[in-house]
Amino acid sequence: MFENPTQRRLGWLDVVLICVLLLGVAWIIYRVETRLVYNWNWGMIPGYFWFLDPITGQWRSNMLLQGLLTTIRMTIWASIIALIVGTLMAIARISPLPSVAWLARTYVELVRNLPPLVFIFIFFFFLSTPISNQLGLADWARALEGTQRSIVTFLFGPPNLFANFITGTICLALFEAAYVTEIIRAGIQNVGRGQWEASTALGLNRWRTLRLVILPQAIRRILPPLTGQMISLIKDSSIVSLISVQELTFTGQQISVATRRVFEVWLTVAALYFVLCFSLSIVSRRLEARFRRADR
Amino acid sequence: MFHRRSMIAAAIAGVMLGGVTAAVPAPVHAQENLIDSIVQRGVMRVGVGNFVPWVFRSKTGDIVGFEVDVATKLAEDMGVQVEFVPTVWDGMIPALLAGNFDVVISGMSITPQRNLRVNFTTPYASSGNMLAASVQRMPDRASLDDFNDRSVIIAAVRGSTAAAAVQAQLPRARLIQFDAEADVLQEVLNGNADALVASVPKPGRDAATFPDQLYIPVRETFRGTLEAFALRKGDADALNFFNNWILVNVANGFLEERWDYWFVGQDWADLVPE
Repeated sequence: MFENPTQRRLGWLDVVLICVLLLGVAWIIYRVETRLVYNWNWGMIPGYFWFLDPITGQWRSNMLLQGLLTTIRMTIWASIIALIVGTLMAIARISPLPSVAWLARTYVELVRNLPPLVFIFIFFFFLSTPISNQLGLADWARALEGTQRSIVTFLFGPPNLFANFITGTICLALFEAAYVTEIIRAGIQNVGRGQWEASTALGLNRWRTLRLVILPQAIRRILPPLTGQMISLIKDSSIVSLISVQELTFTGQQISVATRRVFEVWLTVAALYFVLCFSLSIVSRRLEARFRRADR
Repeated sequence: MFHRRSMIAAAIAGVMLGGVTAAVPAPVHAQENLIDSIVQRGVMRVGVGNFVPWVFRSKTGDIVGFEVDVATKLAEDMGVQVEFVPTVWDGMIPALLAGNFDVVISGMSITPQRNLRVNFTTPYASSGNMLAASVQRMPDRASLDDFNDRSVIIAAVRGSTAAAAVQAQLPRARLIQFDAEADVLQEVLNGNADALVASVPKPGRDAATFPDQLYIPVRETFRGTLEAFALRKGDADALNFFNNWILVNVANGFLEERWDYWFVGQDWADLVPE
């Protein structure tokens, strides 16, 4: 019934708009070429992904690749933690116990009404670093050997940066969890009141109602906004470069200082983030389409 | 309604109280014995920033520079491994206080403001800041006074002694600050700032790399600075150990030899591309 937007024909307004855009791009390129006295040197970039070690004769990963891997690892772990905390908090938000509900509400409001950077600084310096020192996370990771060391390296990156990685990941996860809480709560509350009443009539208790009736229906509705939140988590992960987690933005900064090649480095970093986020949004669109079909 | 409000208040109070009590254990370091715990652990953790050629990343991703040689020798003399913790310059002192690493060895200049929060050792290096000016925007100047003007825009790294030097020596100029050295240089090359101020030998190297855009109007450094290790307050034993290590390595010429290698010579130039 609805027109497929990709099959619409180009009107004269589209042509004008595209021409204006192309002119704008050309003007920017012209300005960059004339005004910026800059000798482009893209040749150095591939070497920062991986290079052939002249001593061992083997290929070694370099900072851009390591930074990208750290970003991916951190996003995966932070998403998992944010999902767990967010689900628990969402259930707490709709709890019949006022104290539990208000505690969850306080958490959500506190986090959502602070700029991410401020939250991350406070959390990092006041909470996570003293706790991680108390637990001796860094010493534990350093003492690992053999297979254990390889497993930890695969899951969390270089052991000497383990404590730093964990604290950064938890900061990010607890920040995103507040948004996840609201998405899941909205999803749960969107399931009709009748479902609750019917379940109660069938003799299901609150927990089983949630698990067997409400959550399976809610998941469909929350999946699209949840993947959207995950994409913004990838982008937000660049903030933890300011607490010195060695992710993509941090390594990008280090390379640009050493090479004085600001544009090449940041354009590359931007491209990497874009590829990461865009591929995730394609996956999310497919999932959404599948659920819509299943709904019919 | 009143009931609800008091619940919020109670919850917020609870969270804040939790935050405060959790923050209290931090000053446990006040009684620490840093040297013993480094030796016991077998690893010295060193906080480093990102300033060429003090400490920076090589083409192959390794952490290299003057500070790396200093810290490596120090660790060797203590019989421990050294572990570098690359840290954003702005967050260096907070991270030290929070216990992210044992000591900052990263060309940190002694300033009274910093010294209120951390202990400094005897200086192990001395340097100063220099100004490099844009050929296009401010050609043929030969005095610092030319740059002390409301119309002049000067770029420097945020929180660095270079930024402080500009504020003190060139109070009328407009100071713009960036997080990284690369951005400071780019701002001048782009023609958005008239000059940059950074610690030597960076401005000289920049001018040599971009002779058509940058020149050094005043050869001498302004505002000499003394660089020292920074550590948490309250540990006299550690301060004594580091002080004496520095004295010994000034006397035996190690520090001067390394300084010349990184700051005078260019033998390390192939560590960075092109």
